[in-house]
Amino acid sequence: MESSDSSDKGSIDQSEAQRQRQLDRLDREEAFYQFVNNLSEEDYRLMRDNNLLGTPGEITEEELLRRLHQVKEGPPQQNNDENRGAESTEDVSNGDSIIDWLNSVRQTGNTTRSGQRGNQSWRAVSRTNPNSGDFRFSLEINVNRNNGNTNPETENEPSVEPSSGEDLENSQSDSEIPRSESPSVRQPGSERSASEELTTEEASPPRGQRRARSRSPEQRRTRARTDRSRSPIHPVSETPRRSHHNTSSQTLDHSSVNEVEGSSRTRQHVTLRQHTVGTEMPSENAVLFSTPETRPVPQAAGSSETNGTSESAAPGQRPPTIVLDLQVRRVRPGEYRQRDSIANRTRSRSQTPNNTVTYESERGGFRRTFSRSERAGVRTYVSTIRIPIRRILNTGLSETTSVAIQTMLRQIMTGFGELSYFMYSDSDADPSGPTPNQNVDVSEPQNGGGGTSGNESADVSSGEVYEGGNEGGSTSGARREGRNTRGSVTFEESGSLPFLSLAQFFLLNEDDDDQPRGLTKEQIDNLAMRNFGESDALKTCSVCITEYTEGNKLRKLPCSHEYHVHCIDRWLSENSTCPICRRAVLASGNRESVV
Amino acid sequence: MQRASRLKRELSLLSAEPPPGISCWQAANRLDELRAQLVGAAGTPYEKGIFDLEILVPERYPFEPPKIRFLTPIYHPNIDSAGRICLDVLKLPPKGAWTPSLNISTLLTSIQLLMAEPNPDDPLMASISSEYKYKKELFLLNAREWTAKYASQQKRALGEKLEPSDPSGPEGAAAQKRKGSALSPKEKSPRLEP
Repeated sequence: MESSDSSDKGSIDQSEAQRQRQLDRLDREEAFYQFVNNLSEEDYRLMRDNNLLGTPGEITEEELLRRLHQVKEGPPQQNNDENRGAESTEDVSNGDSIIDWLNSVRQTGNTTRSGQRGNQSWRAVSRTNPNSGDFRFSLEINVNRNNGNTNPETENEPSVEPSSGEDLENSQSDSEIPRSESPSVRQPGSERSASEELTTEEASPPRGQRRARSRSPEQRRTRARTDRSRSPIHPVSETPRRSHHNTSSQTLDHSSVNEVEGSSRTRQHVTLRQHTVGTEMPSENAVLFSTPETRPVPQAAGSSETNGTSESAAPGQRPPTIVLDLQVRRVRPGEYRQRDSIANRTRSRSQTPNNTVTYESERGGFRRTFSRSERAGVRTYVSTIRIPIRRILNTGLSETTSVAIQTMLRQIMTGFGELSYFMYSDSDADPSGPTPNQNVDVSEPQNGGGGTSGNESADVSSGEVYEGGNEGGSTSGARREGRNTRGSVTFEESGSLPFLSLAQFFLLNEDDDDQPRGLTKEQIDNLAMRNFGESDALKTCSVCITEYTEGNKLRKLPCSHEYHVHCIDRWLSENSTCPICRRAVLASGNRESVV
Repeated sequence: MQRASRLKRELSLLSAEPPPGISCWQAANRLDELRAQLVGAAGTPYEKGIFDLEILVPERYPFEPPKIRFLTPIYHPNIDSAGRICLDVLKLPPKGAWTPSLNISTLLTSIQLLMAEPNPDDPLMASISSEYKYKKELFLLNAREWTAKYASQQKRALGEKLEPSDPSGPEGAAAQKRKGSALSPKEKSPRLEP
């Protein structure tokens, strides 16, 4: 306003208008605080997490209220949608839509979306747990044969589970290759992969072995179902490309939990980790890709824990459906550091005291690390892929990148089995090329019975060498799987695949490395909160330089500095220190241990 | 935006009780742009200089620091020829030390301090920095020269009306400055002449 000195002419009206605006603004601001104060903690969180709060003074109370209702009502509606079937939502047809969807998920929390593309239709559901900040996403993809009639059922099935890539893979393979086989016919011989997938139950001996070794009953079941479901509609054909099948089969097979951990935003590399757990410690989950025991189509409406619920639909009727369940959790800064460092330290393989074996390979700028450790009879496999974020951002999905992403995805998708990691072949990336080298390296050490792998791999053109990590002697089986999986999996063009987009999403979602680190929502929510009372000494929030008024929600940091919740939460989402004293809000010790 | 309400408060505080040697006001009709003037402290080579600064307030303020640069050329190890300032509080953590509890007033005060106490170990202008470290006399000479050349014009302009005799009187200086701002159109032309 002082500035107006120089330009006083027009400034009179202006200042008048401005004054009016300011008054309005003040009113709104007041209303905002009022509104925030009246929110229950839960609602507050809901709104904050969904970025619905806007800024004081900017947004009207009505708008806030509207948003709140919207958010609250959101989830149920979505569920309904799910149940109703895909038709309504199907309009979305391309891969991008998934990204859009994901983005919307970020904002809104729970969402369901489905789409159709070619002969595949997908349905994705996500839920966000505001309390924990966990994000759960499921994707289900149904592939209809071209010839096959799309069953309405498929669409209707609200399977919520998101299985992304795998389905695609399967579907792709199916679609790509028109096969005429009758459902029942499988060619056992050459196309093991296919057969494997399908045939669980009837499985030929070798398969049986495989399964036998580590699979839990459930897994088997799953397969069986899958088989069934597919068979009627799609005859499973032998896939010329085993890889597809293989992949799928693996996925299905392994019910083990894989966790992919997203790197914390701060890291320089995005780390996708898969954790296959033989029996591992459940502790780490950042992004969890778990193939829940895949039941063919979980109809359970989006509920996150889909598995149990949804088996009702008769498997047989459905087209092949694959469901993937993905959980994402933000990795807290430092959480995985230790492991990383281990990985980094060890180039190639090394044996650490712990019986940890780490393998590291680098390809096209993507570093992959695999490590295995054995403790008390429990083996843990960790595989990590790091992709420099920039690269992805800059290139979009350029070829290299996409290849890498594919690989990564494949790993994610495929890697459900313990073995698969090893296998995880680069070769996949180049369908044609067996890039066995890396694999080989890796494989040997791991397997106690590494030898076996060789044979099987032979079948598969690409060098899948390893399959090694068998637990406890189930080597043979293991290797088999491995090889199956690893075949040359060819992705359709990368850009088009939803799951690629998915990967992209996750990568993109990681904030830029240069960004300061912030706390997770959980961490923020764990900080003390209270209402400002009349009796408190007059204090001012140093973030907004506004005095507290009665009923204001304040958050108290460990250093006992207080701020408006909405003020400090925003700061802490990007930073981890107290604005006043700069002390770290989280003791460094906590960081590692909070899980 | 918190920015608007906060800025408003800051500005009223700044005009109500400006820190010594500092004045700050909103650039004409711009919400996100401020101008400030710093008076070179006595005992420094910038004494008797008046330095204009431009302050751009980002959308995300106060969660992001304002961008501040010198408009008036200044000979200083931590301020480059474009007027950019190397100062931790002007950057976000983890590299910087900005926090939302700082404000424009405290930033300007920090800059004032930086003028009085250059930090040659974190130089922006390497040559000036080494000069400051190893040839202090030369540095002082140059800095004074620049101050006289670029920063004192305004002062002279002001000086006609306000007795510049008490550069040490912070309050007085601030008051001058505020008036100075009103005069800014006039001031500019003389400044450019040399």
